[in-house]
Amino acid sequence: MSILEVKNLKKEYPSFLLDNVSFKLEAGRITGFAGRNGAGKTTTIKSMLNLIHPNSGEITFFGMPLVGNEAEIKKRIGYSTGTVSWYPRKKLNDIALVTKKFYPNWDEDAYQKYLELFKLDENKTPLQLSEGMKVKFNLLLALSHRAEILILDEPTGGLDPFSRDELLDIFTALRDDGVAVFFSTHIISDLEKCADDIVYISDGKIKSAMSVKDFCSAYSHRDENIEQTILRLEKEKTV
Amino acid sequence: MKNILKKELTLSASILSYLFIAFGLMFFIPGYPILCGVFFVTLGIFQSFQNVREANDIIFSALLPVAKKDVVKGKFAFSCFIELCSVILMATVTAIRMTVLKDATVYQNNVMMNANLFALSMALFIFGFFNLIFIGGFFKTAYKFGKPFVSHIIVTFVMIGIGETLHHIPGLGALNAFGFEYFSLQFGLLALGAVAYIALTVLSYRCACRNFERIDL
Repeated sequence: MSILEVKNLKKEYPSFLLDNVSFKLEAGRITGFAGRNGAGKTTTIKSMLNLIHPNSGEITFFGMPLVGNEAEIKKRIGYSTGTVSWYPRKKLNDIALVTKKFYPNWDEDAYQKYLELFKLDENKTPLQLSEGMKVKFNLLLALSHRAEILILDEPTGGLDPFSRDELLDIFTALRDDGVAVFFSTHIISDLEKCADDIVYISDGKIKSAMSVKDFCSAYSHRDENIEQTILRLEKEKTV
Repeated sequence: MKNILKKELTLSASILSYLFIAFGLMFFIPGYPILCGVFFVTLGIFQSFQNVREANDIIFSALLPVAKKDVVKGKFAFSCFIELCSVILMATVTAIRMTVLKDATVYQNNVMMNANLFALSMALFIFGFFNLIFIGGFFKTAYKFGKPFVSHIIVTFVMIGIGETLHHIPGLGALNAFGFEYFSLQFGLLALGAVAYIALTVLSYRCACRNFERIDL
């Protein structure tokens, strides 16, 4: 059974159409969600979190439809969105203290471990953090409740190369523990470093959803890496 | 429910929401439209909604493992908590004015509305309309609150005007009773205010849940 299944998702805006998006995620796999800015990555992720309402389509987590099982499902998923800061004038400690109450499976050891790893000062407020540190704080909350699937919207955006490297190593360790990691990015090199699968979206349509190996076989030219392949595909589209 | 209320009280709330509860003490002021204190309490709650928008609280809450209607429930629970704290304060002041200060010259010569059970009833009506107009209006978009708040101001000051005018109309003097005069009537009006408060709040909560479920965040 897939840990997440998105089926025929459609969301229509006056100037954008997310069209018939379908893919599956498996436990213990890292999936990179690639596409240029405005391709529909965030719209897809927001639909997966029930923040926006698709015109049609179906989303199931752990075999349960999202609609009607939202609270139960959200206990088992971790989510982080780029550099959005919550409660800019509250101490990180206060935000974490409130957040942990919502998760019966909150892992205090994991929280302390990532707090130390990310070098976050709990007495600071999000307002006092750099953009990269805000990303790390969002990740800290997402990683501290034994989530079975992590959905991360541009988690490496704003991070320095060292932190990005650390984060990708964390993804790998989580994958080895059986966690499914789904992260959107327009930094394709991040995807090349650790992803097992790739979901590539362009102009609101899924162009491919397969393993990285299959993607390379299907689309890459000789000696071309994934970044060069996607750049070429995007350029070919505009010609 | 306990967790979402705790989140509201510790993360989402503005300190002004708590401080402005003290405006309930305006029920002590003679020669002044005491129901203005009720308006200031709602102004304090409004500050928390400003905080909510600044802090991305709605999306943070919607991402927590709770149903979307629980996000709405949290906001209503917080607002009702502040409102009822101020009503308790106003009721305490009213009880003091109805008993130990009943014969105080300054209150006997008061040309404005007295602090009595009818005044408390009007306070409950105003809070009920605040919940309906402002909080209900906010949840139509979960970010726009200018128009709902302006509508609330207009309705509140009309209500204050009604409260201050009614007892001057011949035959309605009992509305401005001192102490325990016309107690049955006064108590009945208070009960009516309580019923209206509950009905308006429940109606607004249901509409807000429905609207919040529909909107894209």
